[in-house]
Amino acid sequence: MLDLLTQSPHFYDYVTVAVLLLGLFNVFEILFLLYNKNMVERIEREKLALKRLASTALITSTAPAELLPGPAAEYEFAAYSEAIASVLDSFEGEIADRARALIGQLGIDDHYRRLARHRTWYKRGNAIDIMASFRLKASREFFLAVYRSEPVHDVKYRIIYGLSRLTREHADIRALAQMLSALPYLTPKYTEDIFYNIISALKAEGKEGEFGLFMKETLNDQSVQNLVKRDCINACFAATCEKGRGLLKEYYAAYPHEPEILIASIKALARIGDFSKMPEAMKNPDWRVRLAALKYAHLCCADLLPEIRAMLRDNSYHVRINAALALAKAGGAGRAALQAEAASEDKFASAAAAYALTQEPA
Amino acid sequence: MAKILIIDDDETIHLICKAYLSKSGHTIATAFDGPEGLALAESFKPDLLLLDINMPRMSGFEVAKKMKENPATKEIPIFMMTSLKQESNIQRGYDLGIAEYITKPTNIAHLKLRIEKFLENKK
Repeated sequence: MLDLLTQSPHFYDYVTVAVLLLGLFNVFEILFLLYNKNMVERIEREKLALKRLASTALITSTAPAELLPGPAAEYEFAAYSEAIASVLDSFEGEIADRARALIGQLGIDDHYRRLARHRTWYKRGNAIDIMASFRLKASREFFLAVYRSEPVHDVKYRIIYGLSRLTREHADIRALAQMLSALPYLTPKYTEDIFYNIISALKAEGKEGEFGLFMKETLNDQSVQNLVKRDCINACFAATCEKGRGLLKEYYAAYPHEPEILIASIKALARIGDFSKMPEAMKNPDWRVRLAALKYAHLCCADLLPEIRAMLRDNSYHVRINAALALAKAGGAGRAALQAEAASEDKFASAAAAYALTQEPA
Repeated sequence: MAKILIIDDDETIHLICKAYLSKSGHTIATAFDGPEGLALAESFKPDLLLLDINMPRMSGFEVAKKMKENPATKEIPIFMMTSLKQESNIQRGYDLGIAEYITKPTNIAHLKLRIEKFLENKK
């Protein structure tokens, strides 16, 4: 084929035509890109203008729907949704009530309910995300129905996120924990966020006790993954669940061979000022648990200084260095112990002590 | 009447706060991110700063830190207004010397009262 072309008397004509076609293609490509850029920018400008209009209507009118053109294009729905979600995230009271009413009046909820059944998974996911940002109690049953028929995990994770913001009682939390356990584990951050949302939703309703009830039920529930239980405790740490003190200790006692749960319990207990598990945790065979306890040791345990000092000879480098740092933060007695250890014959202990002495006391 | 600077990346917050606070005669200036807000704080010299935490380019904590380090802006009281409710964030805010930590969602009428009460006590 190549020989046929190169030996043809029209070879240079073919080359010229090919070059011209390529040039033409490039020109069209550039024109298309410019047109597309222009269109995207125009849509962004219109979207911004609509968002401003929606915000202004919400501020100035008691019937904002009458001032706003009904949305038709996707970006119009997106613009109104963003403005409404922003108001609902930031404000409560009259303006939030108006924003909430607008969702139904402009047909936004119906639009996203339809999209949540779209054949393309990312459109379904996007619709769920937007509906979740509205936190409408009426969406709960819809989310549950969509979850049952949804085949894609990515969308299911989003539905669970949306449901976590609409939690009412411990039965809802239990259902969410089981949904989470039935799916492949995503990330600690995701699961922790789910439980954090749950705690926040319950706290807002004055029902924080419902979360304690759930934790109690889940303590020995094998159908809930241990990783999910750990993230649940971590969410307690983030949200400072003061009412969970007793339960956190029960988790600590029930999972002696699950370092992740032990660590999460120590952190959550320390956050609420309970250091009763420290002595036990500092002797745990898992170095990560000993390390977690040491991180808080300087806050509580003047009487544990001998034990912390002994940990300068721990077989884990991380534990040794953190024991030294804990002593450095523990005031005069701790620093005196470090000075004695800096002259020790144990070169690991002396190196850790010498390093910690260079650090500022707490 | 006071001069209030709002630093938030969400224009809806600007519009709503501006509408409610300017009704009482306050002068409002707005910025979308930390660097813009810091520059504006020096030139506008606000009596109070309403500051978000999650923003592009610079977090609200960094903005507060820089404000308190700068002799020209360190006396400006800061109201942090954020959806971050964790104790650690609240503590961090107060450690940086903010005057108030307001968690979203908040009632705009109550926010206005809190700001006005604060400015009145400051006089």
